[in-house]
Amino acid sequence: MSPPVAVSSGKAQSSAKAENAAPTLSEMQEAFQRAVISGDDAVLNEILDNSRTDRNVLFGVYRHAYAARLVEVIRNDHPFLSSYLGDDVFNEIARAYIEACPSRNQNARWFSHRLPDFIAETHPNEPHLAELATLERALNDAFDAPDAEPLALSDLAAVPPELWADLIFEPHSSAQRLVFTTNAHALWLSLKKEETPPQVETHPAPENIIVWRHETTPKLRRMSGEEAMMWNETVNGVPFGSLCELVAIYDDPDSAPLRAAQHLQGWIISGLLAKAQTEE
Amino acid sequence: MLVQAKANAVAHRQPATEDKPRYLGFGLGLRSQHYADILDGDPDIDWFEVISENYMVPGGQPLRILDQIRARYPIVMHGVSLSIASTAPFDPDYLKQLKALADRTEPVFVSDHLCWTGVHGVNLHDLLPFPYTREALDHVVSRIQYVQDYLKRPVALENVSTYVQFRNSEMPEWEFIAEMAKRTGCWLVFDVNNVYVSAFNHDYDPHEFIAGIPADRVVQFHLAGHEHNMTHIIDTHDALVCDEVWTLYKAALDRFGPVSTIIERDDDIPPLAAMLDELGKARVLADEVFSGSKKP
Repeated sequence: MSPPVAVSSGKAQSSAKAENAAPTLSEMQEAFQRAVISGDDAVLNEILDNSRTDRNVLFGVYRHAYAARLVEVIRNDHPFLSSYLGDDVFNEIARAYIEACPSRNQNARWFSHRLPDFIAETHPNEPHLAELATLERALNDAFDAPDAEPLALSDLAAVPPELWADLIFEPHSSAQRLVFTTNAHALWLSLKKEETPPQVETHPAPENIIVWRHETTPKLRRMSGEEAMMWNETVNGVPFGSLCELVAIYDDPDSAPLRAAQHLQGWIISGLLAKAQTEE
Repeated sequence: MLVQAKANAVAHRQPATEDKPRYLGFGLGLRSQHYADILDGDPDIDWFEVISENYMVPGGQPLRILDQIRARYPIVMHGVSLSIASTAPFDPDYLKQLKALADRTEPVFVSDHLCWTGVHGVNLHDLLPFPYTREALDHVVSRIQYVQDYLKRPVALENVSTYVQFRNSEMPEWEFIAEMAKRTGCWLVFDVNNVYVSAFNHDYDPHEFIAGIPADRVVQFHLAGHEHNMTHIIDTHDALVCDEVWTLYKAALDRFGPVSTIIERDDDIPPLAAMLDELGKARVLADEVFSGSKKP
């Protein structure tokens, strides 16, 4: 946290400031911010009534706008969490988040970024809520992630067969793998279709979801355990030959090269990869 | 601290002397709801004002759309988070991103608001008022000088709607703005609705505001709607421009001459056709005012 910087007015910097003297700009801004965030009324002493109403009403515009605006920012970032919870519960969570995590970024685009973690902490017995929020955050992040030219199948056509084992693939900058313990993905799908959400369920095994951007559109889909394992190792920079060996360990070794190639082809067609290169 | 120290060091430089931005005609605030209609059609819009922060993102659709719009129309970048009047240091990452976007987009000019948005590393994401004192004037002037130096271009600042007045203000808002513009050479975005709102909330005649602003510094008008609560007006930018604001717009045209104008809508965004209807009204009023030699 950076302290406010004193301004340069000689009057403001007077060390022998008279009691009852007007606050400096810095002092006024601190008091104003406290009044908006935590309801401290001290700043009202420095504010005038107008001819029709008093300063409490006038200052109340800022207090109301602060929470209302940020609740809407969160709602815009998490439309399906909002519709799943309903306005009352969603607003309660959003206001608690605003109080616990004041915005520290100049751009409101990033304000809700800690919401999934906040919900995980505050609603530990409802993990589907944090996972639903996580899914929406991943889609938001994919939407404006850095641009990268996706790898095309034609890019690999010229690679000699003997180099394939050494190929290392780089994921697209928007790609993000999520691991869910609940059916948050199914909840999201039903909410998107404006259908009644299914009952919350906990998966016997974690569910892998991949989120990325194809051209300008965020996408998501499930990954099998094998595909998720291979993706994870790809992200770690493991070359294709070793990926095939890992797939062979995961399941039937005879068809492993074919399965690995199918996973790879699917990723390339979907725009999940950005680059392929051989180890130096 | 370093950023602020530099700001103080340049506080006594001469005002910026760049040429006044060219007249752009009648435009709209660019909103994502209208992207398809703008890019698929050929709407009668002269230029667009874009919210800088909406495009200060790593990549994806926002920047791609901005590039497409920029290829067809003049653009002005309008920010909401510069926090020029804050006593907190500038956020260097924010300034860096703002400059990168300006260098990429090459807008006709870059603007933000005469306000502050937070201190102690917190951003309230609101356009907050401050007392119009000599102290605040010195502070704002030094910050504008720093930003103009950093961006290597003059900035334009917009008057915001305010709901409170401070006991220790030493001058009216228009006097503060006039002195600020004189000392920094910055341009001014004159939000007609905001003048109307603030004048009602603080019991002054909006024509006094218009008379107090240096005409040669005004480069843009904003027109917008508000919510009237009888005891005070809340600037919502979510409604049609009201008759009183249209009347004030004519008075502003009389005083400032032809000035690039937009309709600015931030909420309850109507279809593009409805926005064009309002823009058409602005054109008609300007035609009426400039039906003689002052027409651009």
